Amino acid sequence: MRPHAGASLSRRRFLSLSAGGTAVGAAALSGCAMQVSSGVSGSGETVTVMVKSGDILPEQVQQAKKDLGIKIVLVKFDITKLIAMLTSGNPPDLVRGVGAVDLPYFAARDVAEELDPYFARSSVLKPEDLDPVNDLWRFDGRTQGKGPRYGMAKDFSQDSMFWYNTAAFDKGGVDYPSETEPVTYEEWLDNAKRLVQRKSGQTTVFGGSFNGLTRATLLATMTASAGGSLFSDDFSRVDFTTPEARKALAWYMDYAKTKVGPSLIQPDPNGWDGPTYQAGRLAMSNAGYWMGGMIYPDKKLAKVSRLAPAPMFAGGERISACQGGTGLWMPRGAKNKDAAWRVFEWFFGEEPAKGRASGGWGIPTLKSLRSLMPAQEDYQKRVLKAQENELKHFSVVSFTPYTTADAIDALFNQIAPAAMNGQISVDTLAGRLNSAINEQLKRGKEQVG
Amino acid sequence: MTATSLPPKSSVVLPPKSSMTDIRVRVRAKRLVLYTVLVSATGLFLGPFGWLILSGLKTQGELAASPVHWLPDVFQWHNFADAFNQIDFLGYARNSLIIALLYAVLVTLSSAWVGFGFARLDAPGKKVLFGVLLGSMMLPQMVTLLPTYLIFAKLGMVDTYWPWVLWGLSAAPYLVFLFRQFFAGMPRELEEAAIVDGCGYTSIFWRIFLPQSWPVLSASFIIAFTWTWGDYIAPQLLLSTDRTTLAVAVMTTYVNEGGTPVPELQAAASVMYVVPILLIFLVAQRGFVAGMSTSGLK
Repeated sequence: MRPHAGASLSRRRFLSLSAGGTAVGAAALSGCAMQVSSGVSGSGETVTVMVKSGDILPEQVQQAKKDLGIKIVLVKFDITKLIAMLTSGNPPDLVRGVGAVDLPYFAARDVAEELDPYFARSSVLKPEDLDPVNDLWRFDGRTQGKGPRYGMAKDFSQDSMFWYNTAAFDKGGVDYPSETEPVTYEEWLDNAKRLVQRKSGQTTVFGGSFNGLTRATLLATMTASAGGSLFSDDFSRVDFTTPEARKALAWYMDYAKTKVGPSLIQPDPNGWDGPTYQAGRLAMSNAGYWMGGMIYPDKKLAKVSRLAPAPMFAGGERISACQGGTGLWMPRGAKNKDAAWRVFEWFFGEEPAKGRASGGWGIPTLKSLRSLMPAQEDYQKRVLKAQENELKHFSVVSFTPYTTADAIDALFNQIAPAAMNGQISVDTLAGRLNSAINEQLKRGKEQVG
Repeated sequence: MTATSLPPKSSVVLPPKSSMTDIRVRVRAKRLVLYTVLVSATGLFLGPFGWLILSGLKTQGELAASPVHWLPDVFQWHNFADAFNQIDFLGYARNSLIIALLYAVLVTLSSAWVGFGFARLDAPGKKVLFGVLLGSMMLPQMVTLLPTYLIFAKLGMVDTYWPWVLWGLSAAPYLVFLFRQFFAGMPRELEEAAIVDGCGYTSIFWRIFLPQSWPVLSASFIIAFTWTWGDYIAPQLLLSTDRTTLAVAVMTTYVNEGGTPVPELQAAASVMYVVPILLIFLVAQRGFVAGMSTSGLK
């Protein structure tokens, strides 16, 4: 009797091989031996923080251990995992969130801890030092921007502002937009049409990109800029048929139809504006101040880059909202709240916050840290001046607690391409969006109760 | 001596020289077409991997350029070193290796055991049970994700490698099917002779069937190893950042200070990430192909 291929395998040999393999593996199962080199070990309190890569660096974890005596265990942010952890009753102690859209959702579901008592006794995070953007992390049970605080933004931008490349404007013979006075959305689109470059039917240089952080926040902000509100007073419905919301929707459909910039029907192969702008293939980028962190290290690019105010609709209101305000919140079921708060203070008010402020990746959320914003070079001073002027027009555009921005975007992405391709009218699109999104909001409201 | 009647040399009719040439030309033309198709198909299949390697050798500007920058102006070999050094690449690779080895060894054994049972033993309801087993292959992983997490959380196994041990011991439906097909094809006489010699079914499995199963064992091992090496969802769900696998690290860790991806480093890391799988396949491909063909599965 011969085996089909290879040497025969005695039972003893087989068992010894598999037992050896299993033993090696089993030795590793305790977990401690299998950590990559975070450099953190030893006793002390442990705080689990769910963040994305880059939010807290490994060296900062080591520093926290040294300075605070607290071991930070990082868990990669993943919404499925977060829900699983919340459901299992073992949530992280701190969680990353996008203040503008996540806070109402989690606060309304009663899974977020109110932080007012912690702020009240903090010597690091004093209420009078908090930038107004942190109001995105307040929720009174119905409206965002009011009521107790549930978290804090780590940095922010006024996300409807836009960067532009003066070299592209020079090449297109287009006047530079003002750095203090907003252009209208119509003027912005007209500029983009003149700046776009095409070759053999392919867009080689986009005239401009205007997509917001999410389509949900973009359209909510634009509707507010037109003087209206996308959501009903109790945030249980959207209405794209109001004159203001329709104006915003019609503008965005025009933007997509004219193909002056990336959209659902003409995606940017790079996935986001940064690399495209850096490669000189994008004349205007609706990315806000934070993109300066990517622009400044490239001096050639920095010298031709300027930051302009958020556009407004003719006759509308000048508002300049933050669509992100990413930060941390504390789950109500966190096991180690006091240690988590100490990490919270350290992250938002101490070394990590100072490092972020000086990097140019967003405006610090403590007023006392603004002096650290980069202003060594002329181009940085210029951008900072434009940004400081824009801060006067900051306002919170409240978001619904009954669904997530991602869920609204998913519905929008299914329905809107037909209008972008000219197959349906803006009015038909508005009606379809109302039906689909309101159905979603209705289910969300039933869940929240 | 065998009487072979060969025709006399003079009676062999050879085709005229011109038709011989025609035949050669036709054969060569056919080969040319065949090789052209094969080379094109190879190019098509290797294209994405080649593009990945090239992406790992470009600058971010070249990656974003339009028209497409096919070759880098200067090969950025340092991207590979940067990708290796920016994270604890070996640490994450070690984690992947442990999980993949653990699971591959255990699931191969347990699936062989279950497959043997389905192939050689009779029991009431066997067909129904086998149908249920095959049906479970249709269940998408996403459906069981949250319940799986909750079970492991209750057992205190989150952020440990025990889930992979349990999964390994539980056998995998596809591999059970693979082994069942292989074992079903082995002659009944082998089993009968062993029973006459006093062997029980455990001995038959260990001493007779398993030693003849190297092809399917290696196929199963490779399949299980690559599943686990390439799995993103389970380690992302169950492990913390410093205990996770290379697949998760490569996908999520190469970001700049603003949290946006650094694609050239991600591409370079991805190339290094697939190398172990390619090496394993190259070493074990003969057994893999034999295992797949002898099991009756293609």
